[in-house]
Amino acid sequence: MSILIDGLLAILAIYLALQSLLAPRLSQSVFLFFAFGLALALAWVRLGAVDVAITEAAIAAGFLGVLFLDALRDFSSTISEKHNNTEAIQSSASRKKIKTFLLPRLAFGVGLGLFLLISLEAIWQIPQGGGLTAAAESMLPESGVEHPVTAVLLNFRAYDTWLEIGVILLGLLAIFVTGGIKIYTKPDVVAKDPLLRQVILFFTPVLFLFGAFLLYIGKSGPGGAFQAAVLWGAIGILLHLGGKPVFAMIPRWVGQLVLIMGLGFFLLMGFVFMSGGATLFEYPKAYAGTLILIVETLAAISIAAALTAIYANLNQMKEEPKENESAN
Amino acid sequence: MEAYQIYSLTSAVLFAIGIGGVFASKHFIKKIIATIIMGGGVFLAFVSFAERDALTFADPVPHALVITGIVVAVASGAFALALARRIYQLTGEESFNNEK
Repeated sequence: MSILIDGLLAILAIYLALQSLLAPRLSQSVFLFFAFGLALALAWVRLGAVDVAITEAAIAAGFLGVLFLDALRDFSSTISEKHNNTEAIQSSASRKKIKTFLLPRLAFGVGLGLFLLISLEAIWQIPQGGGLTAAAESMLPESGVEHPVTAVLLNFRAYDTWLEIGVILLGLLAIFVTGGIKIYTKPDVVAKDPLLRQVILFFTPVLFLFGAFLLYIGKSGPGGAFQAAVLWGAIGILLHLGGKPVFAMIPRWVGQLVLIMGLGFFLLMGFVFMSGGATLFEYPKAYAGTLILIVETLAAISIAAALTAIYANLNQMKEEPKENESAN
Repeated sequence: MEAYQIYSLTSAVLFAIGIGGVFASKHFIKKIIATIIMGGGVFLAFVSFAERDALTFADPVPHALVITGIVVAVASGAFALALARRIYQLTGEESFNNEK
């Protein structure tokens, strides 16, 4: 029975992945990608990785899906006519070239098939045993938390997590640069849609509470900083959609402080304990649990702010050409 | 056949689909989706091996690495999207057009 579920889930994931790449329309691709992310999240629940499932559903399917949907506004308006034009030109021109097109495609297909066989073989041959389960299990009592994944993320491999927060900030900076650095403009329209207003009023406290719950429960069960951060980031995105961009409403230095708070506190704490003779990111055993909770909270706030800022920046990319036109 | 075997085989297929999509699809957004599907394949392989090496609980190190990896993949995906939108704004191109 369980084999049946796993098999069906595997087929579903493969089918959705294929369809999202083969779908003729871009909006179909994006929605199938949403569905693919959720199918993958289910697969991870089946594999016992609930933390990963929450992260996948929230950030890979949810947040990235929102960014893709937002990008569709840019692309979808022109794609139909442009696509038709290029299609018409190509079909008239390429009818003669069809034989020259066939060979590369055949080679591509064969190469891809061989690649698939090699990767299947490689995966089959990875030796069993090993892994770090035993090591993690024996050190778990000293980590200050009860959930092994949180212990690895914030204690055993804290360096990775610290760098990860850095990577998100780096992504934000790169997006700043591509979009042209600009201060968030204050739109004067508050959401006129009564439904959107109600949704914001209803979901903001729910999302906040649920995020805080996930953050706290990360100590003893699946959940933690990243999952909470996405929920809190969703609040920021909702407020932005409702005409209340968070970053435009607070002073600039507060925004910057919130963005670097998680990374900064993590590093500062590492250096403080390093001066007492510990290695970087080593916690004193007595306070490990409390310190991890503080680090997680600050990191979650920072990541939530970074996700909101990423969305706000990408969202404003569309509006920029208009401003230029009016300036000219 | 164990559950992890099904998923580790699936991971190879997903990776191959992704890499095929990176090369074969034209539009920027589809290329970005393809890279994320590739990433999904890699993460699935990690987690399925974590399940295989489980003792009282599944190996937590791959889980933590995968959570880190997902977040990094999303950050890079968002950056790729920003680049794609910028290219579209500046040139009106929505795919790499080598003929021009």
